Amino acid sequence: MLTVVERVLAAALGPKRWDGSNAPLLVAYATAPQHVGREALALSPAELDELRAAAPDVGFERWTRDDAARALLLIARRNSGRTGDGFVTDALECFEQGDAREQQSWLRAIALWPEAKAFLPNAIDACRTNIIPVFEALACENPYPAAHFPDRNFNQMVLKAMFNSIALARIVGLPGRLNAELSRMARDYAAERTAAGRTVPPDINLALKDER
Amino acid sequence: MKIFDPHIHMTSRSTDDYEAMARAGILAIVEPAFWLGQPRTHVGSFVDYFNSLLGWERFRASQFGIRHFCTIGLNPKEANNPKLSNEVLEMLPRFLAKDGVVAVGEIGFDDQTDEEEACLFRQIELAAQFKLPILIHTPHRDKKRGTIRTIDVVRRAGFPEERVLIDHNNEETLPIVLATKCWAGHTIYPNTKMDEQRMAALVKKYGTDRIIVNSAADWGISDPLKVPKTIAVMREQGIADADIQKIVWDNPVAFFAQSGRLDVSDLDQRPAIDRTQKFETNSVLRGDQR
Repeated sequence: MLTVVERVLAAALGPKRWDGSNAPLLVAYATAPQHVGREALALSPAELDELRAAAPDVGFERWTRDDAARALLLIARRNSGRTGDGFVTDALECFEQGDAREQQSWLRAIALWPEAKAFLPNAIDACRTNIIPVFEALACENPYPAAHFPDRNFNQMVLKAMFNSIALARIVGLPGRLNAELSRMARDYAAERTAAGRTVPPDINLALKDER
Repeated sequence: MKIFDPHIHMTSRSTDDYEAMARAGILAIVEPAFWLGQPRTHVGSFVDYFNSLLGWERFRASQFGIRHFCTIGLNPKEANNPKLSNEVLEMLPRFLAKDGVVAVGEIGFDDQTDEEEACLFRQIELAAQFKLPILIHTPHRDKKRGTIRTIDVVRRAGFPEERVLIDHNNEETLPIVLATKCWAGHTIYPNTKMDEQRMAALVKKYGTDRIIVNSAADWGISDPLKVPKTIAVMREQGIADADIQKIVWDNPVAFFAQSGRLDVSDLDQRPAIDRTQKFETNSVLRGDQR
């Protein structure tokens, strides 16, 4: 399926893929679904194994065709010689000018880049969104937060997941990032819910360091 | 019963809402500056927003017989981009000086970052400079800690607590706020924050001093009639009308009157509605109605 996406995309972009400016990338990034569709990526087991070997813990099984197309576009941009700061600048333009769906694709692929660490402020900021699918694109099935977030931001992300009834099991690397402050926050949250006569998330123990 | 909703984001609401609010007895409202659901990226977006709170929205409210005041400030959700937040803080003074601005707000914590704390501190200093009260937003997440931290910052700034309204309280934070001299706001929401029954229980437990309720209706699931609906539940629960009146009128009026910009002499009279009035050539009427 990946090769199909790649072929469709190459045909859509034509031979003059990249001139000096970032404009062709921005247009292609925004219009990717028009060329490859929005269906599930439906990877074969062999493709999935290959991708997982290259990028463990990235939730490719949830990706759509346009997610893959957008990741391939950024790969093509890197392969055109834009690496390091140049790649960071170009990729960030895709993110900052993107709608919610484009931002979702962008965040799903964020761990793939050698420049990934440079995107930390943007990733932290993305967690402030009220658009839950955008939040999930980073917080769930994504190794980036556990690998790069400082404790304070990681803790806020876990609390926000609980707050939005997102299963904590979806947060990659949570067991390795448990800490006393997160346990305190989770306990306060349980107390607040109880005082309000509300239910406590059934998986709250996953956020508690000393009860595992 | 005279009703003052001291926290409602009318920019996101319809004319049907204004009509229903007036019918339910709401005479005056405060619209705090907040965020719009997704982050703004340019200082000019804030300038236009603040101007619309002071201009078009105040006019729109008047067309339904409701007095509209606002608070101006940089909300904590948008305080984490240092370049933008500095630009916003620098242009705040010219808005804080205007009539109709009855507090600095909503300010406070969201993710409880250092950047948020710096913006909160600077805005408390601005409130002192402009002799305005402040409206504090407490965070949705890690609320108890955020409330304690907020009070610490207020005290460190040396700001008088009686000019601070700490909003969105719940069972856990209310006793903390009442142990200070700050006022305690409660947001009655359909699903989150506080509901009518819990609010009535808090009033029975803690009394009416410094207690305020609001709808905080905005662009999310919320209800601009939550203050009148809370009045109904408090009555059902046997709370005396005089006590209810204190919560939904006397307290918010006394708090915001500290700005010196709330004319209390005729606040309880519904202003006459004249829909032939225009705001910068715009009217709330359409086509044939004019």
